[in-house]
Amino acid sequence: MTYLFNQFNLSSPSWAVFSRSLAAIFGGYVLATSSSLFIGQLLLNSVGKYQAIHIGLLLSFIVYACAAMWVFSVSSASKAWGGLIKLNVFLFVATWLLMQLNGVAS
Amino acid sequence: MKDNFRQSMKWFHTWVGLIVGWILFFMFITGTLGYFYQEITRWMEPERPFIEHSISNEQLIDIAQNYLTKNAQGIDEWDIYLPTVRDQNLRVGWRHAPEAGKKRGRYQRAVLDINTGAKIDSRATGGGRLLYRMHYRLHYLSSKISYWIVGFCSMLMLLAVITGVVIHKKIFTDFFTFRAKKGLPGWLDIHNVLSVIALPFHFMITYSGLLFFLFTYMALSTNLQTNENEYSEMRKEIFPRSAHLESANQPSAMLDISSLYQQVKMSWKNDDLSTIEVFAAHDINAQVLFIRHETDITYNPKDQVMVSAITGDVIPQASKEYTAAGMIHNGFFSLHEGQFAGPVARWIYFFTGLIGTAMIASGLILWTTKRKPQQMKKANGPDFGYRLVEQLNIGTIVGLPIAIAAYFYANRLLPIDMIDRVNWEANIMFISWALLLIYPALRPANKAWSEQLQLAALVYMALPLVNLLTTDKHLINSLVQQDWGFAGFDLTFLAVGACFAFAAYKYKTLHVDKKVRKPTIKQEVIKESGQGSKQGETFGNEGLLNAPQVSKGNS
Amino acid sequence: MLLLSSLCFTAMALFCLAMSKHRQQIIAQEVPKLVVRFFRPAAWLLLTFTAYLSVELFGWSIGPALLFGALTMAILLLTLLLTYQAKIVPQLAILLSLISSISLLNS
Repeated sequence: MTYLFNQFNLSSPSWAVFSRSLAAIFGGYVLATSSSLFIGQLLLNSVGKYQAIHIGLLLSFIVYACAAMWVFSVSSASKAWGGLIKLNVFLFVATWLLMQLNGVAS
Repeated sequence: MKDNFRQSMKWFHTWVGLIVGWILFFMFITGTLGYFYQEITRWMEPERPFIEHSISNEQLIDIAQNYLTKNAQGIDEWDIYLPTVRDQNLRVGWRHAPEAGKKRGRYQRAVLDINTGAKIDSRATGGGRLLYRMHYRLHYLSSKISYWIVGFCSMLMLLAVITGVVIHKKIFTDFFTFRAKKGLPGWLDIHNVLSVIALPFHFMITYSGLLFFLFTYMALSTNLQTNENEYSEMRKEIFPRSAHLESANQPSAMLDISSLYQQVKMSWKNDDLSTIEVFAAHDINAQVLFIRHETDITYNPKDQVMVSAITGDVIPQASKEYTAAGMIHNGFFSLHEGQFAGPVARWIYFFTGLIGTAMIASGLILWTTKRKPQQMKKANGPDFGYRLVEQLNIGTIVGLPIAIAAYFYANRLLPIDMIDRVNWEANIMFISWALLLIYPALRPANKAWSEQLQLAALVYMALPLVNLLTTDKHLINSLVQQDWGFAGFDLTFLAVGACFAFAAYKYKTLHVDKKVRKPTIKQEVIKESGQGSKQGETFGNEGLLNAPQVSKGNS
Repeated sequence: MLLLSSLCFTAMALFCLAMSKHRQQIIAQEVPKLVVRFFRPAAWLLLTFTAYLSVELFGWSIGPALLFGALTMAILLLTLLLTYQAKIVPQLAILLSLISSISLLNS
């Protein structure tokens, strides 16, 4: 396996690639989920609950893809993890706030 | 990683494409065959009669209704499938009442003989349906596991498509650039051209493929946002169903369906009718739904006409309400499946699918081509990883088409009354693929390419011959009967075989000429024979130098 | 469908003519600069017309899908011809556009 990684003369050792892959797969999945929750709340009042959820789900694959690409484009694995965690926390908090707002409104 | 965004995307593209490339190749090739699954099934059931050219829809409907009245008594739901360009036999189907604890009942089908009105007993076969189901069911795995594997691969495919666009700087100025060189630039151009010309298709097929199992993949999100009732309500909103009456358990005499058809005929052309669905047959609530060939990728209310089978009145239907997102979702499904496509569009779908397959193949070959010079300089021969990729390439890119031919051979050659015949057809396909994956490990790479190409040419050329010896539905008869469903199949086999033969011949001449690199494996897949010819005329010493080491490395 | 493909082929051939690299491949003699300037707009015009035609013939949903399919096939053919038989591209483009305009007028 190490051959596969050494082949490209990465500045970071192979575990960094492994770490990034985990970040892309799991961090990206959580991000896809949190973004779909966020969109589900954001559009709740304008297009109705089910369609809002649905739009969030349709876009989740695009979010996932962008997240994975981003993870592999930043300069280090820890930066990738940090960015993903920050963004996820932000989305969850924003979703929670919107839920409060929507809850009051309805 | 790399400082430059494009550089890191290039790295990402390479590895994302490589790790699941072979599974994607398998998914693309079986999926592409799926565009002709009805035609394949018909070929694999050679007991079915040739096409009857002059028979009216009314006569066909009468035959089907007679059969169903006799053989599907007490059944509420009937379907009649009229002969179409794709499946040229009259077929019927009916759904049994659900068994205890099950949601839906068993579905039974029959192909009818137009002359006798009786069922035609065909050999047991998985047909085209089994073959195309492999592209998302992966055959041996449980459905849950295979959906997740397929989803993972599709996600990587989506990433490969997007990163591919990102790294391709001059997508429009290089639009037509295809330099017929050998070696790296040649393969790079092939890969680029194949990717760019069908880019909308590649994106559409990958994204829509992911959408098919949207609710499986994103179950976490839906579970957080909906409870069970809300979830099923949401599903109903996204995939609306047309309503029909249930049986009221009051038997009543039904009118002839062919007489009901008269009303429908006025609004459609005569040959548009494709399917008839009967609900609550022989009941006071009996309804007949006439469906014509799809004319819209979402839903056109004019494609369906509902008629009461008791009074003969047309029942106006409330049109299905789609949400905007639901429209997009269903539209992508329909684009993926291509059910709306007519004959020409279907062939274009098929070729575009092959372009996708060839794109994956060329990407995989590109990986080895790029690393070959460096690998060959190594003292102990090429690395294990390199050899593995090369062997998987040979075993999949040429091996899988041979394995698919083996599936067709199994259909013709296995004993008709064999137990578990359906499964054995597929087993034989996978056993041959496994053998062809192992074979390159025992041979030098260039020998393995050449031998498997020859084998592929041979098996495809011989298929029509085997068909001639084992059935009466062979090429001569089908041409005389003008049955293009059967004839087209045999002719396609011959064409594919000829392309493989050309590739094998090209490989041999190039190889004898000056041990150059691989032939253009991909173009026989997409069946255009010109492309490879200039592939390797002047490539020099490197190949010559490498050849002995390849054999050393591989054996 | 075939009509769409042949129109797409002609449009793409015009695009090719607009690029100096490919023009030299297809046509031996020099083309006046003024004429060259017209190739690209003409190609866009033809492509737009083909898009309009696809929607007109097949509706808003299927039309664009078929248009992309036709484009794919046309470019594939053109790329292969450019590589191996570049000289027949102009003749073929003229022939195909003639056939398609006749079939358009007939329908």
